[in-house]
Amino acid sequence: MIHSAFFLIKEGLEGFRRARLSAAVATVTVTISITLFGVFLIITLNLSRYIDMLKNRMEIEVFLDDSFSDEKIQGIREQLSTIEGVRDVVFISKEMAIRAFHRLFEREPADYIEALGFNPLPASFRLKLEPNYLTSGQADRVVQRILAMDAIGAEDIRYDRRILLIIEKNVELAIVLGVIVGAIICLSALFLVSNNIRLIIFSRRKLIETMKLVGATPLFIQAPLFIQGVTQGFSGGLIASGFLYVIVVLSSMRVRNLIVVNPEVYPLMIILGAGLGLLGSLTAVRRYL
Amino acid sequence: MRYPSGEGLDRISLQVKRGEFVYLVGPTGAGKSTVLKLIYMEQKPSTGYVVVDRDNSNQIRESRIPFVRRKLGIIFQDFKLLDDRDVFENVAFALRVTAASPKEVKKKTLRALAEVGMSHRSRKMPEELSGGEQQRIAIARAIVNDPLILLADEPTANLDPKTSVAILNILDRVNARGTAVLMATHNYELVNYSNKRVVSIKNGRVIF
Repeated sequence: MIHSAFFLIKEGLEGFRRARLSAAVATVTVTISITLFGVFLIITLNLSRYIDMLKNRMEIEVFLDDSFSDEKIQGIREQLSTIEGVRDVVFISKEMAIRAFHRLFEREPADYIEALGFNPLPASFRLKLEPNYLTSGQADRVVQRILAMDAIGAEDIRYDRRILLIIEKNVELAIVLGVIVGAIICLSALFLVSNNIRLIIFSRRKLIETMKLVGATPLFIQAPLFIQGVTQGFSGGLIASGFLYVIVVLSSMRVRNLIVVNPEVYPLMIILGAGLGLLGSLTAVRRYL
Repeated sequence: MRYPSGEGLDRISLQVKRGEFVYLVGPTGAGKSTVLKLIYMEQKPSTGYVVVDRDNSNQIRESRIPFVRRKLGIIFQDFKLLDDRDVFENVAFALRVTAASPKEVKKKTLRALAEVGMSHRSRKMPEELSGGEQQRIAIARAIVNDPLILLADEPTANLDPKTSVAILNILDRVNARGTAVLMATHNYELVNYSNKRVVSIKNGRVIF
């Protein structure tokens, strides 16, 4: 059995060497496909990272009436903290608000207070939500709970619902597009490997016929073709993951953390390549052998 | 056995015993090759059956056919050698598909090459050999597995008379060692000089 395994691996790799040109063309095309797939995957993953970052910045602001006493504010704070989906409640005092305003418009807080004779900005609570509450539907539910509190009216609450809606709409579109483009790239790589194995089968007709006549089992005939398919896919995946690594390193040299890649993406590219190679050769063997 | 064109074999009954040498003669298109194809189970009879050793074509599973073929040696007029490997590897190939050990492959291949007188050409590529030499290699590949029967489909059709006789002598030697031989040929002249059993077919039927 071990002798057969060695022979089959040798035959598979020999076949790769014998059909150098077509094997090289197939490997290059698989490399291009998987590189494109990888680039696309990285863009999608990073896009989702940026979207998460954007969503995490989303907060609900609850403005407080100047007449509220410290006890009442404390009570509101406790009530807000118990609302389901609220991760964090930060109190912004009138002073903190005017300082923030000053940072935004680069003027001394004293300027406004002096001009107006009082601090016009109200104190507020800034609510951060749990990650799974960062959707327009869930955020609306949290807002409804806040409005159920006697002290807070609808005009006292601000949150950027529009951004959440835009993100939700476009993320869905991006996912659908991602699946379609990814599937097209994978299918084209599959077709290329399958077509190359088909050519190999035709070029080895005589060999295959002789194998059958001397009593080779179907698996014995097919195994070298699977090995060739997997080798092509594996090589394509390996080169593609190398390319991706270089692309990521080069982009990070210009802007740090512009692209963040989970290191598992690289072996995934290689496994994907080998898997596509195996599937491509299986398709060709089933159809043409 | 009938092809869609209407041609084929009709009520053929033929038995080849162990160690026997049988000529299957007939004009081109008589059905000689079809008889051989039925034996190596490339085709199945539409009615009737073929038995090779203990394997019956009516009952055999598809997966068993490669193992039936390992009991057969097959040679063709176009030799069917693999031009991407040398003589030794062409002969060894029949053993490698049976998962033989490298030691066994070497021993049996060298012995088969010696039997056909081609030991000195073992590292040549098929294209470097004459037609007669290529057919000898094909015979070596066919006998390397010690088959029960050697099926020869017009093995001398592409060879000159002198080389044809040399090939027949090799087949005689193989037969003398105990391997049955069934040789299809349309060369009546070659058969006339022999004292072997002759089965003649014409239009798909045995005529004597």
